[in-house]
Amino acid sequence: MTGIVDADSVTKRYGEVLGLNGFSASFQAGITGLIGPNGAGKSTLFRLLAGQLRCDAGTLTILGFPAWGEGEFRRSVGYCPEHASLFDWMTGTDFVTTLLRVDGFPRAEAHERALAAIEIVGLTEARDRRLRGYSKGMRQRIKLAQCIAHNPMLILLDEPLNGVDPVGRANLSALMRQLSTNGHHLIVSSHVLYEVERLTEQIVMIAHGQAIAQGDIHRIRDLIDSRPHMVDLESPDPRGLARLLGAWDHVVSIEFTAPEKLRVRTRSPETFYTALPSLVVTEGVTIRSVHSADDNLDAVFRYLAGGGR
Amino acid sequence: MSISAPRYGAASVVRTTRFHRALAIVRRELLRRSGVGTILVVALTYLAVTLVLTINTEFASLVGTLSLSTFETPYASPVWPFLMLIVATSVGAGSLAEDVGNRSITLYLSRPIQLVDYLAAKAAATGSWLVIASVGPGLLGLAVILVLGWAPASLVLSGAAAFVAVGFLASIFFTGLALALSSLTTRTLYAGVAIFGVVLSLEIAAPLVSGLTGNSSVAYASPVTDILSVAQRAFGISGPYATDPVTSALILGLVGAFFAFFAGWRMSRVEVVGE
Repeated sequence: MTGIVDADSVTKRYGEVLGLNGFSASFQAGITGLIGPNGAGKSTLFRLLAGQLRCDAGTLTILGFPAWGEGEFRRSVGYCPEHASLFDWMTGTDFVTTLLRVDGFPRAEAHERALAAIEIVGLTEARDRRLRGYSKGMRQRIKLAQCIAHNPMLILLDEPLNGVDPVGRANLSALMRQLSTNGHHLIVSSHVLYEVERLTEQIVMIAHGQAIAQGDIHRIRDLIDSRPHMVDLESPDPRGLARLLGAWDHVVSIEFTAPEKLRVRTRSPETFYTALPSLVVTEGVTIRSVHSADDNLDAVFRYLAGGGR
Repeated sequence: MSISAPRYGAASVVRTTRFHRALAIVRRELLRRSGVGTILVVALTYLAVTLVLTINTEFASLVGTLSLSTFETPYASPVWPFLMLIVATSVGAGSLAEDVGNRSITLYLSRPIQLVDYLAAKAAATGSWLVIASVGPGLLGLAVILVLGWAPASLVLSGAAAFVAVGFLASIFFTGLALALSSLTTRTLYAGVAIFGVVLSLEIAAPLVSGLTGNSSVAYASPVTDILSVAQRAFGISGPYATDPVTSALILGLVGAFFAFFAGWRMSRVEVVGE
């Protein structure tokens, strides 16, 4: 593996709990979305990359260097943690400047870069206010400012859109895309899947501490299409509908999920969707709604995390 | 919000040294710990020590008993070590506990800074406050005495050396203790209670055990007794001492250093874990 970040069978335990369980993935250039539900191991992976945790087993390299430990390579990494508290008694400018000083920038350079980064994230008007007065969205943005202020090659963003208002989300997403265009590599974690879909097609899916899928979302969709596809149907006569659908040879299973709802698994979604209208016409059944349950990234994730059930 | 992301390029900026990077943390820490309570205690110490020192010196010079031991007066009671304890608790309790507790340590250690630099910066900031509180008042009082001409310069110089020696030794002990206990918890309050509790427990237990067992060496377990013995010796008082000053000085220095190393060992094993 020769990615920006390479993980090979990385395991991290918290006592009896497995944070990562043999996680293997290669993060390539550009924007990569790290997606998974809460507790999947996203933040553990970020903390390992930030050098805050040490792998119990496996190897994890970042820009070719071992992730654990100190090193000058960290100048090339920007980290925006999800939960870290800020220095609330400081102003936005002081906060970013202080961290740039820790990065090794001379005072004047640090100040100049801090102002520039704060402007990029749209906090110029609030830069001289103390951080304790910042809203959650503003705090996310100032964290992002400290993360990009030293112009790192690799930017690690742990749930960067969490708590940001819709307009702010759109702006931050645009900023992330522009950072990528300008030569930065980004790894962005999220459990809000549609945001990752908008940001990148390159994803690593994580569940139970393991990478369950990696690559282009379309390829993952192809993988999904080779397996039974789920469709949710709503009908006032679910039993009658189920009897008719059960006669189709590409239908693998039918499940009653609610009094008037069915979940159908088919090996041939195309045939299914083509034949469904004729069923309504010829058999006179009423179908109130059709919903492809795995039509988005969320469903892809659930499908893979569930082992393809 | 303007969208004008930086363009990535190899950094051409000359970076500062490790020392300067650590200094940025010291500065931040000094500011963080400069709470109203701490400043009040330190100001009170300055005022009390300066007043006691100048009044006592003036009285001693009037009755002709002025000597180096005259300057020991402010440190002749346990009040001064307890003021040090308050300062140590105030500035040292949150030193590490706060950063680990709210995970702001992540913001530091994800940068090109070594753990040892981070710890040195924390120790420097806590120690600076303690030196300010312990050495400063004596030096200010002596400066006033010198300006007023109430004691010869050579005697004032000797007094200053004694204040520096005792103050630094006490600062090493309290800095080490505060860092060690702060590294054991993620709650500033717990660390503060622990610092106060450990010192007070030793102050109460050591004389009791010493009296009950008849073993005078137990008195070395009392940091305040140790500090007062060292102060008596440093200011030229011939004794008798509650403990041997040289042994007490060694204990304070070594225990302080041990605590500091313990804090370093402990922090090297701390992993910042989310909820």
